[in-house]
Amino acid sequence: MEAHLYLEAKLPMVGSVTDFTYKWCVNMGLDENEAARMALAVDEILTDVVLYAFKEETGYVEIWYQYTFSEIEIIIQENGEPFEPECHSYSSEQAISEGNFEGASFECVRKMTDHFLFLNHGMHGKEYRLVKQFDSLDIRERIEAQVDDYKNETDLAEENYYLLTPATTEDAEDIAKLIYRSYGYTYLKDDLYFPKRIEMAIRHEYKFGIIVRTMSGGPAGYFAVVKSTDSRIGEVGEAVVSPQHRNRGLMKRMLNKLIEMSRRRGLLGLFGEALTVHTYSQKVNEKFGFKSTAMVIAKTPKRTFKGMDTENTDIISVVIDFLPLIRQWERPVFIPENYRDILTDIYAQFKIPFIPSARKQKPAKELKDSELNLKIFYEKSSALIVANNIGSAFEASCNRLLRSVEELNLTSVYVDLPLNGLRIDSAIQWLRENRFIFSGVMPLFHRESDYLRLQRIEAEIDFEKIQTHSSISQKIKKLVEYEYNEIQKKQP
Amino acid sequence: MNTTKFKKNSHKLEVTLSGDFNLNAVSMITEELADRKELSVDLTHSRFVNTKAIIFLHKLMTSNPPTKVNLKNAPRIFFELLNALGLHNEWNLNEIIEP
Repeated sequence: MEAHLYLEAKLPMVGSVTDFTYKWCVNMGLDENEAARMALAVDEILTDVVLYAFKEETGYVEIWYQYTFSEIEIIIQENGEPFEPECHSYSSEQAISEGNFEGASFECVRKMTDHFLFLNHGMHGKEYRLVKQFDSLDIRERIEAQVDDYKNETDLAEENYYLLTPATTEDAEDIAKLIYRSYGYTYLKDDLYFPKRIEMAIRHEYKFGIIVRTMSGGPAGYFAVVKSTDSRIGEVGEAVVSPQHRNRGLMKRMLNKLIEMSRRRGLLGLFGEALTVHTYSQKVNEKFGFKSTAMVIAKTPKRTFKGMDTENTDIISVVIDFLPLIRQWERPVFIPENYRDILTDIYAQFKIPFIPSARKQKPAKELKDSELNLKIFYEKSSALIVANNIGSAFEASCNRLLRSVEELNLTSVYVDLPLNGLRIDSAIQWLRENRFIFSGVMPLFHRESDYLRLQRIEAEIDFEKIQTHSSISQKIKKLVEYEYNEIQKKQP
Repeated sequence: MNTTKFKKNSHKLEVTLSGDFNLNAVSMITEELADRKELSVDLTHSRFVNTKAIIFLHKLMTSNPPTKVNLKNAPRIFFELLNALGLHNEWNLNEIIEP
């Protein structure tokens, strides 16, 4: 459950916020010690904000509590007196010899969190990001010794009768075991090796799925939809069928069920991030009516895949495949001039009626501020900036965000621009000048609207290794590769 | 709901905090402590001791004349923070911490 607090920056509110922080962290799955560390980190930031950012003035603080399967992030924003933490570093020698404890609060915050980031947004204030990763039991450590026994297990291999039921929190450990026994250490989504993370995600309804069991109750397969947090769509991911039970149509039966469950839950669409190290997932998606809309390069840093009939040590890229579950689709108001042809081709794949969008943006002269949200994926070494509107100050705001994440040396940065934005052409122009290249359409991805994604890749990409299946995904790849090579030519 | 309890005599203040040892608690203790030269804080209900509280205690113990500080039931995070601030060797924990 995500939360958002808006508070007056006064000392008495600090205790209430730390109490809330502690309870929220425990509810989201942190153990009590880790929750107390996070509460202390929040206490340190808020106390300093009250003492130094606003002093005697009235000011306000906004706090966002965000959850993913692997970590929680608390974002604190305020617009008090300017401040630069690098100018206030802590020295224990000075503390002991002179009683000078300057910088002690930030030292504490760094020690109590797994990641701490300070972002200066200039006239839009300051932002503190505190991240704590879940330290839960890793199934790989627990069942390693049993793997050989499992591989010899033959009691279920002859069975053809399977029971498909919605996955519950009690299935969490079996799901983690399935992943490990099917993929060893190589499954892309690390969270699935941690039963506690799976349990919490199902409990809080961040995902829903199907588990397949044999007559004797043994787990044979699992497939889930992970719900997006800022739009009514979901990702079909986390798919696994135990090797003994493959080639029996289980994946198809599970996906059919999932699509049915997604419709019942009111989702507007489903997307899949199909790996490009092979075309298997892309072909499965196509069979179920998914259409390719984007190619996202360098989705995670380098890793090796095994157990998938292929090995690859390059950076992982994915094709975004989308299946609309709606009967009518709002047509984007503005198709950017630079990408008119490819976007027209992408939209032409969908055979459902398009209707004119009712959500036209205000004229640019009325809209100065751009609403940009930054999400940092520390484990994936990437960041996503979502522009919910493109104001006349887009370039300055975006530049500030890009500068603020420079020190993280991210492999990739993505920017999602709303396709109902009047100023989208100039935003694209500016992003291209700043080494961003095409990625594609992210349908209904934020606020139930279509976005154009651009991407900046800080890694060497071997496009020979990127395999695509559909003609559209091949077209998208060609454009991405062309723009990537153009950028490389301009590099000193 | 617990409330912070104070017990005092002419030279000593004993406090049982109802919550975390934060700046609010520091303000309350400062007011009650006045010129007393001995402070005992029971941290049974505290999840953490923040840097403002540690600085407050450090200054009490290094003032002239020093105030004697005694902490009961300190949470684990207190020791982690003391270590992070490089004060773990500076503070005489054998005397300060009551088992």
